[in-house]
Amino acid sequence: MGLTPEKETPFIERLPGANYMLTRMDQVINLARSNSLWPLTFGTSCCAIEMMMATGASRHDIARFGAEVARPSPRQADLLIIAGTIVKRMAPRLRTLYEQMAEPRYVIATGACTISGGPFIYQSYTTVRGADEIIPVDVYVPGCPPRPEGLFYGILTLQRMIKQGETVRRPGIRSKPVMSALPPNITMNDIEAEMESLLRQEADIDVEKARKERDWPTGLNH
Amino acid sequence: MSDAITPPEVPASEPPKQDALVTQVIVLGLGAEPYARKADCPAVQVSATQLLPLMTRLRDDAGLAFDMLTAHTVVDRLDANIFELVYYLYSLNHRKRLLVSSSIPRENPVVSTLTPVWKIAEFQEREAYDLFGIQYDNHPDLRRVFLEDDWKGFPLRKDYKDDFMLTHVIEEES
Amino acid sequence: MTVAISSLLNRIRVSDSASGPIDAKEYFINMGPQHPATHGVLRLMLKLEGETIREVIPVPGYIHRGIEKIGESVNYRQFVHLTDRMDYLSAMMNNWAVAMGVERATNTVMNDRIEYIRTIFAELERIQSHMLWWGVLGMDLGAFTPFLYGFRDREKITDIFEETVGCRLTMNYIQPGGLMADIHPNFVTRVKEAMAYAKPKIDEYEELLSGNVILQERTKNIGVLSGADAISLGVTGPPLRASGVAYDLRKIEPYGVYDKVEFRTAVGSVGDCWDRYWVRVEEMRQSIGIVEQLIDNIPEGKFMLMKPAKKIIIPEGVYYNAIETARGVLGMVIASDGKSDKPVRIHMRSPNYNNLWAVDSMTRGSRVGDLVANISSLDFVVPDIDR
Repeated sequence: MGLTPEKETPFIERLPGANYMLTRMDQVINLARSNSLWPLTFGTSCCAIEMMMATGASRHDIARFGAEVARPSPRQADLLIIAGTIVKRMAPRLRTLYEQMAEPRYVIATGACTISGGPFIYQSYTTVRGADEIIPVDVYVPGCPPRPEGLFYGILTLQRMIKQGETVRRPGIRSKPVMSALPPNITMNDIEAEMESLLRQEADIDVEKARKERDWPTGLNH
Repeated sequence: MSDAITPPEVPASEPPKQDALVTQVIVLGLGAEPYARKADCPAVQVSATQLLPLMTRLRDDAGLAFDMLTAHTVVDRLDANIFELVYYLYSLNHRKRLLVSSSIPRENPVVSTLTPVWKIAEFQEREAYDLFGIQYDNHPDLRRVFLEDDWKGFPLRKDYKDDFMLTHVIEEES
Repeated sequence: MTVAISSLLNRIRVSDSASGPIDAKEYFINMGPQHPATHGVLRLMLKLEGETIREVIPVPGYIHRGIEKIGESVNYRQFVHLTDRMDYLSAMMNNWAVAMGVERATNTVMNDRIEYIRTIFAELERIQSHMLWWGVLGMDLGAFTPFLYGFRDREKITDIFEETVGCRLTMNYIQPGGLMADIHPNFVTRVKEAMAYAKPKIDEYEELLSGNVILQERTKNIGVLSGADAISLGVTGPPLRASGVAYDLRKIEPYGVYDKVEFRTAVGSVGDCWDRYWVRVEEMRQSIGIVEQLIDNIPEGKFMLMKPAKKIIIPEGVYYNAIETARGVLGMVIASDGKSDKPVRIHMRSPNYNNLWAVDSMTRGSRVGDLVANISSLDFVVPDIDR
């Protein structure tokens, strides 16, 4: 999403002053970021099938959420969906993959194994008990494996977080991952509707309201 | 425990029937004996030194022709201080399955490899080395398969201990 | 007697020096563990000369979770759900292997209703697994449409699972002593609908992909595995049948109600990727036939014969039973001490682990692109290799 002055003239003219414009630019960038997540094709076990179901297959079609460009290379991706158990031998590789991704990068941990170790927590000599022992995780998607709807709900949660500028790596803002459990009786249509309403809501900036909220430095208030 | 499913009672007077296949293997005269434990298929046991000659014969003998090593695994019998090697053979021609068992001491678990007999033995033995530390003599490429090369210990041994592993066991309902 | 323990580094040195003096043309390259064509986290070390593969060294273990160790501390009912996570595309068959092992060891005979439902579910699972494989094979070989088609049709079967079982992937449905729940009232009609839907789809698959000249060029005479090699390498399932060995446990040692249904075993002749492709496509047809024969005749009866609260204690001994999953023979070795409800040792003879090592012999001398076709035609599920 680019901001071309010709097209967006009314939008820009309504913005009062350069400083304000810059802070709002953050929001515009966040909006763009949140709606064009490029996931890395990374799957270790069962959750990967449900992830493929969600991203690749036509029934659940992740393209509606702007995240259809799955990249096999971490250099081109900005969303890491950890799908499946992480074991000791894989842990350094996961770390490398994460480090190879360009900033800003977001991490969704799907499934019980990546949250806590899941069914392999006791008596297992290799299973890492939670992917956030290795890399910072933004959103947990519970399930074993989570349904595609659950994954979408997780992506929606992450999108909200990005729009608010809150991810796990902003110090002082959030230190723990968000648990994004799919509430009962939520269907794909509900998620889609919420996504749409969020988009619309974010696209219209209420300048008057924003001006009141913003505590301007002296001399800049009109 | 009262309503536990218990093993069916076997009348003690009935003499154990020896399977025809077991007899066929024993008359080869390569040290095979009837299996001392219980198994659900024809089973023989053999000493570790006689394992390779017996297995070669089992594959090559036209009347047996065990051309497939279906499974090879190890049972850690800590109370008897042995590793029991378990080989499941299958004959495609005769459609018969045979268990060959061999016991080796836990302190010095050395046994000859079966790679010359079946190619898959190389990899099934590597798994057994990785998890139990069985040393296969003359193995072409004996190294870890699932774990890193610098892993300490052999995790599927009963006495394996690890700082990482959570050994909490859920309390039994009494 | 000293036994030399090698390491991966050593292994590479050995094959590096095998080619004699330093040869600038030959080099090693890593494929995986993060590679889209390896279907997960399988790592293959390739020794290449230009683009010609001289040697393949598979390095599994990137998803080794120690299921066999966990299995020694849980009872048989608890173990069932761990097997779902091994070969998650054959989850029903994995569950069935545990259930059958326990039932045979305790001499429990299941009623016809349970056996019918188990067989139907296993065949549905096989169809959906092959559908997914077909789609992914297409994608690996450069055609994206099969992926969409395969996943679309697979959803019809997952819906049936979801209705009865409540899960889409990891089932935990077939339990020692019966089934977790009775079938949904809609089950029979849904299955009939799905089979009526799937039948013409298989022909459509053939039209879409099988006749494609690119697919044929990339699979015919690629990755040839002879029957004798396949047997010695312990290869089972569709790859073994493609090599001309008609070894199908459903025919040879019938379990469930496979002895009551008519079906034919698809057998290849050359043992190349094309044969493996064809065998699986044909198996889908046969499986649809099996389900259609059974679905109208599900007898009445109980769906669970052992009380779930009861402890299952297997008599002392070593037990083996095997089942034909979508990828080959899954064997269960259970060693019990006759006292506890937990096994002394539980070993899964996984089909994928044994099929994996055929990659080297079938790939030597061919190109990297052929390796992708080979891996895809062997249809690996990596957590089943590592367990």
